[in-house]
Amino acid sequence: MAESLHKESKVIEDISAKFKIAGKVQRERRVWVTIDKDNLIMLCNFAKGLGFEHLSAISVTDWPEEGTFELTYHLWSYSERILLTIKTKIDRANPVADSVVPVWQENAQIHERELHELFGVEFEGNKDLTPLFLEDWNGPPPFQKDFDWKEYVRQQCYDQANERERAYYD
Amino acid sequence: MTKQMNEKELITIEHIEPIIPEDTDYNFYFGPAHSGSGNFGVKLRIDGERVTSARADPGYLHRGFEKLMEYRVPMQNAVLSDRVCVLEALNWNLVHAEAVDELTGVEVPQRARYIRVLMAELSRLQSHLIWYGAMSLGIGFDTGFKIAFGYRDYILDLFELITGGRVYPAGYICPGGVRRDLPGGAEDKIKRALDQTEEMMQKVKDFDNIVFSRRTKGVGILRTEDAIRLGATGPVLRACGMGTDVRKDDPYEIYNELDFDIPVRREGDAYARYLIMGSEMEESIKIIKQVLERLPEGKVREPAKITPPSRVKIPEGEVYVRNELARGEGCAYMRSVGEGAPYRVKLRGPDLLHMIPVLEYLLKGSQIADIPAIYWSLNICPADMDR
Repeated sequence: MAESLHKESKVIEDISAKFKIAGKVQRERRVWVTIDKDNLIMLCNFAKGLGFEHLSAISVTDWPEEGTFELTYHLWSYSERILLTIKTKIDRANPVADSVVPVWQENAQIHERELHELFGVEFEGNKDLTPLFLEDWNGPPPFQKDFDWKEYVRQQCYDQANERERAYYD
Repeated sequence: MTKQMNEKELITIEHIEPIIPEDTDYNFYFGPAHSGSGNFGVKLRIDGERVTSARADPGYLHRGFEKLMEYRVPMQNAVLSDRVCVLEALNWNLVHAEAVDELTGVEVPQRARYIRVLMAELSRLQSHLIWYGAMSLGIGFDTGFKIAFGYRDYILDLFELITGGRVYPAGYICPGGVRRDLPGGAEDKIKRALDQTEEMMQKVKDFDNIVFSRRTKGVGILRTEDAIRLGATGPVLRACGMGTDVRKDDPYEIYNELDFDIPVRREGDAYARYLIMGSEMEESIKIIKQVLERLPEGKVREPAKITPPSRVKIPEGEVYVRNELARGEGCAYMRSVGEGAPYRVKLRGPDLLHMIPVLEYLLKGSQIADIPAIYWSLNICPADMDR
């Protein structure tokens, strides 16, 4: 098993030699590393240099108790056939992260645009963060954990005069 | 008599002031109310006949699945995952089920793995038939559209037999395996449907030169480096010379035990994408035949008995699952904190990239008449883009 995970360990070795961070090999072809947000762009550039040229997805996880947003960047290397996930945390009260558009161009641009709309994360350096999906939406970013969509629907759509709706909403 | 009428007409025409446009530069909206665009629009700027800029206008199908899944247990989410993409519901079922399986660490029975692959490939076949149909419609070849949708129904009949639903299988591929075993006689019916699909593909080949090649050759050319930069995956990427397929590179289920090829072409135009579609269907048929030959006996779900949802907890952890959908790379990032419902689910569909950066890039500089050919050659699905 340890033998077969050689190329995964090699990726972690390369990264930790430069950035002094630990990583984890989850299974065959899955590598996870965590870095502070100031070094994110440097690590992304370094990862692209290692062959991670396909940005599969960017995701945000909201941790309101902790007061952070966790950003995860899922990168795939066509040559090495490894998925590298870079995780970083940003302050929830001031959700600003460096944009990775200079690294993965249009691909990153569209992922960041989506997350800006749904989570309210600002990506510094991304010039076009216009909303994608929600039309005329003035409320808080809806994918944040403290946005109570059930309450929102209740307020917006509950017709209290209608007997039938009462069974659903109350 | 005829002559007189003509003279009369001529006189009337002379009195009409000819409209000379001051400007040849105008806005043009392709969708969302266009019969050939799906629930999606593109705002185009046109100069004469040439598109000078394109801006995608998504959001007509946004249902917020990622958020909805945070409030539901995996068995409910399995049903929800059908709806991510209407055209390949079973493939999305599989993405979701794999993410949960990897978190719970459950050993999926071997027979269930075979049935999962069988259903995923059948789903790819019918999705590619829609692709062929929609592309034919886009270039004004209605016969192709009708033939493809007619033959697709044979596969939908199979889905009805096996899952109970023609389009939405209601979470047939669920965490732990599949909901129920193949009913009696299903294997013979699958073989018959494959024969019918092969028959259809033979018909399709006869149309190649008269219609398809003339309308699609040299249209919407995408180079490899641009495709990677724009985030293209799946058949779109394989049509521009990049031989990559999640089923081979990052194998899941039993794909590493099966013998199939990855069709690749170098041209990168709409015609190449169309040819890739045909070859992929042949490969899918090959896979399904192998699966039917080797289908092992045994149970199809682990645990076989359904536990009340309130008692099932997903162990803490995070996974990133990649699958090869009919349209490209489909992924799910799932984070669990040990509760019944996942804490966060991120669904990554191929079409967010294909329909925004790739489409905008390809449309810019193209001719109006080529818009539908480019648009449908990308095998798009607004449902999976908006989620």
